Amino acid sequence: MSYTEKQWFKLLEENDLCRTSMNKLIMNYLVTEGFKEAAEKFQEESGVDPSVDLHSLDERIRIRDAIMSGKVQEATALINQFNPEMLDNDRYLYFHLQQLHLIELIRNNNIEEALAFAQGHLSEQGEEDPSVLCELERTIALLAFEDPVSSPFGDLLAPSHRQKIASEVNAAILKLENQECTAPKISSLLKLILWAQDKLNKKSTKYPKMVDLANATIEDK
Amino acid sequence: MRLFFLICFVYDSSSRIQFYAWYIRYIDLFFPSVADCSLFSAWRTLATRIEPSDTLDAIELLLGGCGSSDKLDTIDLLLGGHGKTHRDAASVQATHPIPASCGLYYFEVKIVSKGRDGYMGIGLSAHGVNMNRLPGMIGWDKQSYGYHGDDGHSFCSSGTGQPYGPTFTTGDVIGCGVNLVDNTCFYTKNGHHLGTAFRDLPPNLYPTVGLQTPGEVVDANFGQQPFVFDIEDMMNELRSKTRMEIYNFPVPESQGEWQAILSKMVSTYLVHHGYCNTAEAFSQTTDTPFSEDLSSIRNRQRILKLVLAGRMGEAIERTFRLYPGLLENNQNLLFMLKCRQFVEMVNGSDVDVCTRKNCNLSTSPRPCSPVQTSVIQSTKNFNKSKQAVEDVDGPCNRRSTSKPAVERILEFGRELYSLSQRLTVDTTSTATNQKMLEDAFSLLAYSNPWASPVGWQLEPSERENICASLNSAILESNNKPRRPALEVAMAHAQELVRLMSSSGLGSCAFASLVDILDQ
Repeated sequence: MSYTEKQWFKLLEENDLCRTSMNKLIMNYLVTEGFKEAAEKFQEESGVDPSVDLHSLDERIRIRDAIMSGKVQEATALINQFNPEMLDNDRYLYFHLQQLHLIELIRNNNIEEALAFAQGHLSEQGEEDPSVLCELERTIALLAFEDPVSSPFGDLLAPSHRQKIASEVNAAILKLENQECTAPKISSLLKLILWAQDKLNKKSTKYPKMVDLANATIEDK
Repeated sequence: MRLFFLICFVYDSSSRIQFYAWYIRYIDLFFPSVADCSLFSAWRTLATRIEPSDTLDAIELLLGGCGSSDKLDTIDLLLGGHGKTHRDAASVQATHPIPASCGLYYFEVKIVSKGRDGYMGIGLSAHGVNMNRLPGMIGWDKQSYGYHGDDGHSFCSSGTGQPYGPTFTTGDVIGCGVNLVDNTCFYTKNGHHLGTAFRDLPPNLYPTVGLQTPGEVVDANFGQQPFVFDIEDMMNELRSKTRMEIYNFPVPESQGEWQAILSKMVSTYLVHHGYCNTAEAFSQTTDTPFSEDLSSIRNRQRILKLVLAGRMGEAIERTFRLYPGLLENNQNLLFMLKCRQFVEMVNGSDVDVCTRKNCNLSTSPRPCSPVQTSVIQSTKNFNKSKQAVEDVDGPCNRRSTSKPAVERILEFGRELYSLSQRLTVDTTSTATNQKMLEDAFSLLAYSNPWASPVGWQLEPSERENICASLNSAILESNNKPRRPALEVAMAHAQELVRLMSSSGLGSCAFASLVDILDQ
């Protein structure tokens, strides 16, 4: 069984998706990731029920907002207030928060403070774990550039890095709250694509693959 | 009630066993629901496929039913014969192979009687193996796998078995399971898992049961009765294992930051369908801009809302005004919109724009557009004089179809017809357009169009497709994709799972989108 690009696109075109279930996916993402305002607006505009009390998102939102606005220490305090053991039990997550704080210091050009913070709080963790050390080195390397944003490590300064850490914290909180699935369903959908393509490649089945998920680009290679 | 149907094995001249399958026809008569059951029909097809023979002798296969009302609960096999050597054995094979897409396959066999020596084998075999042997006892060139009752050994296409499990005899229930994710086979005895018996199984094996000595009777259960072994538990285990495998699947570096991919997909979806307030709030929180300016999304959103409310006349007028050239260059789309407008007129949802303006003091006064169609012009004039009739919202009032409204609809219908006449250049779309027009016009033939055979057109859900087509056309004219990335990804994922199924990848059974998305 094999498909050309043309046949495959015809299949995709004929695949009728139910708008309501697509909207539910979106709502699930907004609620899981704690985008309360967007979730409220989406409920108004699409009529999809968020299926949880949006007020229960408040705690996670305050933490996310603090991270997204660069107030990492405030976020850490909020997390400790929410569950004092969470960061003690997840040292890697704790490191990511501290690393983000370091990044924020570098972003604001507090070079001396950044160095002091790195030496005082982070270097020990680096000695224990090689992957932590590598990430730490990448962060410190930002100091070496006049314009860190356009340096090879500029990705650390992008908003998406804040978002990444915010999602990690969010998932950890959901896990503590015994939510079965901590990742939004859209994430599972995209992983399913990667997984299925991997299985089919191993069977050397011919079909057009999705090469770029973010833009849903499908190519016949 | 217990009924038996006798099927006889017959020896032909080459001493191969065949079925004599005359009685089986009664099954259709007495158990119509069973006759539809695929597993049963597998056995039945096998039986009826073989021509009755005169030389019926020796070994008998008994297919029986035991149960209440019209449900056949068990399928019995009874072997009577000389049973002196392996050559006296006979196996029954289902006519359909185990499909890989089922992920985990399982059947149980109850030993009703071990007969004289209890030489029974339960297992799997490939198409075309010699059915004159117990499963597993086949030459090295053919694939056959069996677990034998007399010695408890497992046989893998060979005359000598490997020690595998306990022996089994009268009263035991033996299960045979095929894990199509890793292509292994296991057995159970009286509900206890005996461990993996065979690995690296080939695809397309058939469930097989073989008997050898006189008096051996077995019941096969393919799921018509509850299984002794807890197969559901194993299913759930495989399901969650597959789910975790997907969940933890590594993302290649080349794809970029995972969270950034997700938020981009969400953002483009929101923008595509014109959920602009959500898109705005989302973009502010995530600090990521979106690719279309807000006023453009708002314009689209207004038009789409009009379509979804059934106010087609206004939607068409606004599209002409905001996207000059779009409908002029896409006459088929315009025709589709106008057909819908006709339907909405019958429905009473398409209240003309001027009526609303006059009574609601609408915020946006309509400029006199040069591209306005004559149809709207004429209905507009009409409405000014007959406002009392037209100032009506919702289908309930329109049910008492007043004469002027019918005139208006007929007038619009004539316009629509002449538009369709002008569109006959392109032959492929002509048929579609013609059908659309006929369906729409048929509504007029019924005094109660809502209850008519063509009444489905009046369902509000019919507006969604129109809405999506118009939206895609507008976006395409602005060099934007016809479908948002998320929808393409969803359709792609569904087709991938389907393709896995037809490529014999068993794990697709535990990776359905419903499973993944409704966890």
